[in-house]
Amino acid sequence: MSVETVTKTAPRNVVECLDTSAYQVNPYPVEEPMREPLVLGNPSLHDVTVKIAGIIEGKPNLKYWIAVLICASIAGAGFGAIGETVITGIGVWGSNNTIGWAWDITNFVFWIGIGHAGTLISAILYLFRQKWRTAINRSAEAMTIFAVLCAGIFPVIHTGRPWLAYWLTPYPNQMQMWVNFRSPLVWDVFAVSTYLTVSALFWFMGLVPDLATVGNFVKGKIAKRLYTFFSLGWTGSMRNWHHYEIAYMILAGLSTPLVLSVHTIVSMDFATSVLPGWHTTIFPPYFVAGAIFSGFAMVMTLLVIAREILGLKEFITLKHLENMNKIILATGMMVGYAYSMEFFIAWYSGNEYERTVFINRAFGEYWWAYWSMVSCNVLSPQVYWFKKARRNIPLMFIISIFVNIGMWFERFTIISTSLHHDFLPSSWSYYTPTHVEIGIFVGTIGLFLTLFLLFSKYLPVIAISEIKGVMPGSQPSYHDDNHH
Amino acid sequence: MSNRDDSQYFRHYGEIDNPTVDMNGQEFNGDSGSTLFDTDVNRRTFMTVLSASMAMAAASCRRPEHKLVASTNPTEYLVPGLPNYYTSVYQHKNAAIGLVIKTREGRPIKIDGNPKHSASLGRSSAFVQGTLLSLYDPDRIRRPRVNGGDSSVNNAANTIAQAIQKTIASGKKAVFLIDEHCSPTYVALCNQLSTVIPGISVITLPTLISNAPLANSAVFGVNAEIVPDLSKADVIVSVDNDFLGTDKHSVYHTASFSSNRKPNADSPSMNALHAIEAGFSLTGANADHRHAIQPSEFESVLAGIVAQVYTAKGLSLPSGMQAGANNTAVSNTAKALLSSKSGVVLVGSHLSTKAIAYGQLINQALGSVGEGKPINLNHRLYNSADASASISAFRASLKNKEIGSIVYVETNPEYCSDSELKKLLAENVEFSAALSVAEHETAQTLCSVSVPTTHYLESWGDAINFDGAYSIQQPIIAPLNQSAISAQDFIMLVANFINASCFADTPTFYDFIRKIQSDYVSKSAWEQLLRDGVSKKTSSFETGTPGGIAQLNGYNVSGGLTLVITPSYALLDGTQSNNSWLQELPDPITKVTWGNVAMMSKQTAESLGAVQGEVLRLSTQAGSIELPVFIQPGMSNNVVSIGLGYGRTAGGKVLDGVGANAYSILAPNVGYYISAKAEKVGRSEKIATTQGHHAIERYDNSSPFDNEWKERTKDILGVQEGYITLASLAAAKGGSHEERGHDAHHIADTLSIVDGFQYTGHRWAMAIDLSACTGCSACVVACQAENNIPTVGKKYVANSREMHWIRIDRYYREDASGNVTTVFQPMLCQHCENAPCENVCPVAATTHSPEGLNEMTYNRCVGTRYCLNNCPYKVRRFNFLNWHKDKKTPLDMAFNPDVSVRMRGVMEKCTFCVQRLNEAKMHAKDQGHSRVQDGEVITACQQACPAGAIFFGDVNDSKSAVAKAATINRGNHSSEYKEKNGAYKVLSELNVRPSVTYLVKVRNTDQLPKV
Repeated sequence: MSVETVTKTAPRNVVECLDTSAYQVNPYPVEEPMREPLVLGNPSLHDVTVKIAGIIEGKPNLKYWIAVLICASIAGAGFGAIGETVITGIGVWGSNNTIGWAWDITNFVFWIGIGHAGTLISAILYLFRQKWRTAINRSAEAMTIFAVLCAGIFPVIHTGRPWLAYWLTPYPNQMQMWVNFRSPLVWDVFAVSTYLTVSALFWFMGLVPDLATVGNFVKGKIAKRLYTFFSLGWTGSMRNWHHYEIAYMILAGLSTPLVLSVHTIVSMDFATSVLPGWHTTIFPPYFVAGAIFSGFAMVMTLLVIAREILGLKEFITLKHLENMNKIILATGMMVGYAYSMEFFIAWYSGNEYERTVFINRAFGEYWWAYWSMVSCNVLSPQVYWFKKARRNIPLMFIISIFVNIGMWFERFTIISTSLHHDFLPSSWSYYTPTHVEIGIFVGTIGLFLTLFLLFSKYLPVIAISEIKGVMPGSQPSYHDDNHH
Repeated sequence: MSNRDDSQYFRHYGEIDNPTVDMNGQEFNGDSGSTLFDTDVNRRTFMTVLSASMAMAAASCRRPEHKLVASTNPTEYLVPGLPNYYTSVYQHKNAAIGLVIKTREGRPIKIDGNPKHSASLGRSSAFVQGTLLSLYDPDRIRRPRVNGGDSSVNNAANTIAQAIQKTIASGKKAVFLIDEHCSPTYVALCNQLSTVIPGISVITLPTLISNAPLANSAVFGVNAEIVPDLSKADVIVSVDNDFLGTDKHSVYHTASFSSNRKPNADSPSMNALHAIEAGFSLTGANADHRHAIQPSEFESVLAGIVAQVYTAKGLSLPSGMQAGANNTAVSNTAKALLSSKSGVVLVGSHLSTKAIAYGQLINQALGSVGEGKPINLNHRLYNSADASASISAFRASLKNKEIGSIVYVETNPEYCSDSELKKLLAENVEFSAALSVAEHETAQTLCSVSVPTTHYLESWGDAINFDGAYSIQQPIIAPLNQSAISAQDFIMLVANFINASCFADTPTFYDFIRKIQSDYVSKSAWEQLLRDGVSKKTSSFETGTPGGIAQLNGYNVSGGLTLVITPSYALLDGTQSNNSWLQELPDPITKVTWGNVAMMSKQTAESLGAVQGEVLRLSTQAGSIELPVFIQPGMSNNVVSIGLGYGRTAGGKVLDGVGANAYSILAPNVGYYISAKAEKVGRSEKIATTQGHHAIERYDNSSPFDNEWKERTKDILGVQEGYITLASLAAAKGGSHEERGHDAHHIADTLSIVDGFQYTGHRWAMAIDLSACTGCSACVVACQAENNIPTVGKKYVANSREMHWIRIDRYYREDASGNVTTVFQPMLCQHCENAPCENVCPVAATTHSPEGLNEMTYNRCVGTRYCLNNCPYKVRRFNFLNWHKDKKTPLDMAFNPDVSVRMRGVMEKCTFCVQRLNEAKMHAKDQGHSRVQDGEVITACQQACPAGAIFFGDVNDSKSAVAKAATINRGNHSSEYKEKNGAYKVLSELNVRPSVTYLVKVRNTDQLPKV
């Protein structure tokens, strides 16, 4: 495979000649003979385009539409449950005057956490020149945005009067009222909306060259127009690439602190309170580690399915999956450390409320939530010490599901078990979710999957331009041995 | 019932003078109770919403607007926006409770005690507070019913008159069955009625039988219930006498009992309360020494105390005494009484005449009887003479079919009598008619004529207090329902139909009162009486010769499982059960709302193989009821305690299906302790408690969390044990006020890097004396009435969504031998200076006022509930749903127009009655004062508190009662600053700096008698 390969194939039109990555110039010749190739099967650059853009051009089968229909129905039912909440009031949930937050904020933190992997993979791994990220970054970013969209529903609908939820944003108004900047909920509004905006920008920025490629590839008139329109007049010129690389680098730089800030601030929703079990200084790093942990698990869940169904095994290789499993193991150990440190501090503080809250977590009425969390998050990833396990597709799928479940329980444990037994025993209470809350949560899963299914059909699931950049032959220094 | 005409409910007080005044009752300020959508979710709306909710983000929503209607033709003395106050009196059976009623724009909106009336002393009880809501009960009868159809009052009276005439003509008797009351004019009316129309007899049918008059007549020659004065007693022994809880004069007793419960380390003295009981009453919970005994032991224990006291005093035992027991309950109590200066024994009036007489013998032997002593023979309930003879005669004549017609005058025997009497009333009477506020069980099942009567706030009446003072019950509002007529008026109308000369010169009961009460004929005397609410002149009572105790009966309580049937705290005998305030009032002991339960000890439940919530069928000789098990610490084994007042089946929507009727298992002449069999019915019920859903709050030196519990108890109740003893209070005295460093703020201030806010004007604060508080819960309902607090119903109480702004936390401590001590702690918003709720609100809806109030701006609240999560006291209350949605007219007329009605989705909590503060500030300004003087503003809870345990005011004024209360010396109990002085702040180590100071509870346990 070489530059010649491209010239051998007759271009179908002029723009195709500009099929970008073929002409990318990497000033640093990189030879990685000792490493496993990032793309298997030695496809040509055109093969890559055909393979990935072909998903968009091809007609989806019936199974796909059935899947979309099911997911969209679940999402619709979820919106019905939201409607019931808005019409009747938060009273249709199970929360009460002791446990003010339960599934609502649990789900919010859960989805926000999932939204972390995308930016981490895109931005931080990009800055660290981790080339293996190219196979997964696009779908991870998409997942981030969808997860943050799902997350964003909850802060709005959990308010007693959601039609006034916009009061949480500072805007000039005739009431002459300003938000309370001391409240972490206001910080949350800033953190999450910034994160959503930057993630979406970053995602879109990365899509621009690919949208141009897809615009060339697809045949439908409207589709071609749309893709071309959103490619913002991309021509693949050197100037385009020059600006693109700078913009991408800046956005990666901007996103990197956001990966840390969003969940840090979400954790402050709890850490700044006076409630034992919430009032903990370990929360910011603990929440960030947990978020990366859950985000990678969710990426894993989706990729294992996507590479199977969309036939992307050449691009999403076992090496990628193994690397992710290593991160899952590392972050899983971090949250495990945080769990044990919380207990240690509770004991070490000598504070009776801290002590009872943590003992109650493990052995109280919500013991099952706590032990689900520990076994899913701390115990299950331990199998990844073994290379065989790290490369076992069914196993990693199962573990990723475990981690998703475990991380949901982590948030539930922190939020609800801390609230249900706080300072005055007279107000202790218990929380059970209602069908409405379950419906809303399942609905957001439906919404997430619907969006992801649509994404996987209508946008390039793998960054075409980037994957070409990591293929052998994309570097000018490359010499095909066959020609010497 | 079907032809409801909403337009006729509202009757303006000014209408009496000026019928053109029209106020439609909609003129509330602030939020309406409406919400975004006031619909139920059905299939169509669900589908609509399903599609619409996706686009909902763009939609803007507003609360519906209500129009204001001008009052164009006002009455002279009614200034819109300003309250008018009227005196009246509530006849709580035969106990008179003087009241002051607050009205706004003609509507009564708040009931409080009349400070001039010696039975209420300006204080009130939950039950009295609750009578306000009963006035506006939408389930009251609207029209008279005659033979199933709507009718008029005249027609109903005529029908009854004809039936009575027919009865008399056939040689049978006509009976007016009336409830207990203390109205002298009503007595005169009844006497006149049976004199003029000889075939009529008037019989009093009490819901609860009192054996005290017979016993008192045997010992003292006083055929009446004697009202003791506990402020004069230093040792009080209660033998199943719940004088702090279900007693008719609980307000008076709580006030006089608590007046000696506020000790100071500088002069440590207080009374001691010994309780001997089978169940677990509020009095028992407040006792310094409590003995849980079996119901069969009451008589022998009392006989034992009589024997010991008589022996010590060198008296010879009266003849006919039974042999006494000799156990620790007897010896400890006797020792305490003998060492007292003025000990008194109070025996529950539902116990046998023998038991009550024994108690009075002890009082006599102790020299506690007489003027100025705890038992003053001139302090007795008016019209409380023994009724058992007349009831027995009534039963006998029913059996002999001698009674042809019965008019049930505000009595409901179909609900509250035993099955034998119920059967006789149903089968042996030809004609029955009911006068009642609601179509209750008797009216529905037995009566062909049913007449709506007025609430006591709508009609004239009078009452005599236990000290002989006379009060007028004046109507505060014209009857809400035009057809309603007072029972007395109606009786006079019926009498007039039978015999036209009867009551011809006094067509109404008002005229009759004016005629009978000859002392108040002159305008000035009458107006003076109305203005004061109570006469200065007191009438005296006669005392006869003691009959001796030899003939008195005891109750035979066989062993085994015994039921203890008591009035319930909230509903008492069940006459006011259609009242959501009272239904939702947590029982002070069990904290159960909306229903009664089978209270029993853990061991009893285990022996029955039942767990909490499991439903048992309890069968006695008279019948059976099904109730869920409630495990109660401190109960005697093999005893099941059950509250009356529940299990009503007719008379409103609120009472429907709540609890089970314990009257149905009572039998005549066996008393309130009945042997029973229990069996499980195989289902469980969720009990709606407001506290202890999951844990019994105690430590018993065996739990691994003991240390945590002790620390926690110290933070909450001030000391590790939860209370201090009188001896340790005396020992802990020390240092001047400054040395004790009473104010934790001083210490905290030195730790802070920024200067705190300087409160230069008022600085509102509260102090609560846990030693005086008995947990009676009057404050809870008073707050509810003052602040338009909604009720949420059983389902939502079970999910901890009750809305009470003030609650009474109840903590138990159980020692190794199973003895339980209880501490009550009123808990309300602490108005923290460093409030954790304020900084977490994203929209600044809860903020701090320059006068130290933690304020809630309902309009700004979006309902994130973070403030609630961050409140260490969990006193914030969220409107999860539109709790006012089902509120039917005229219930909304009970709203206090000075307080916003909160819509759903917003947070609310105690405001320190900010509307009263503002009124007081405006008043002070009008008077030319620069600031509100101490005592010019009182909160609703403080006003109601019969114990005087709540102090409120401006702590910036060092002479104010609240500032002084916070410096009451309760001793120095630890080296930690927060506990110095025994005046502490709950959870003070969080440095949230509450404005509420608690005074640690003192119990007089160690003053062991020296004989």
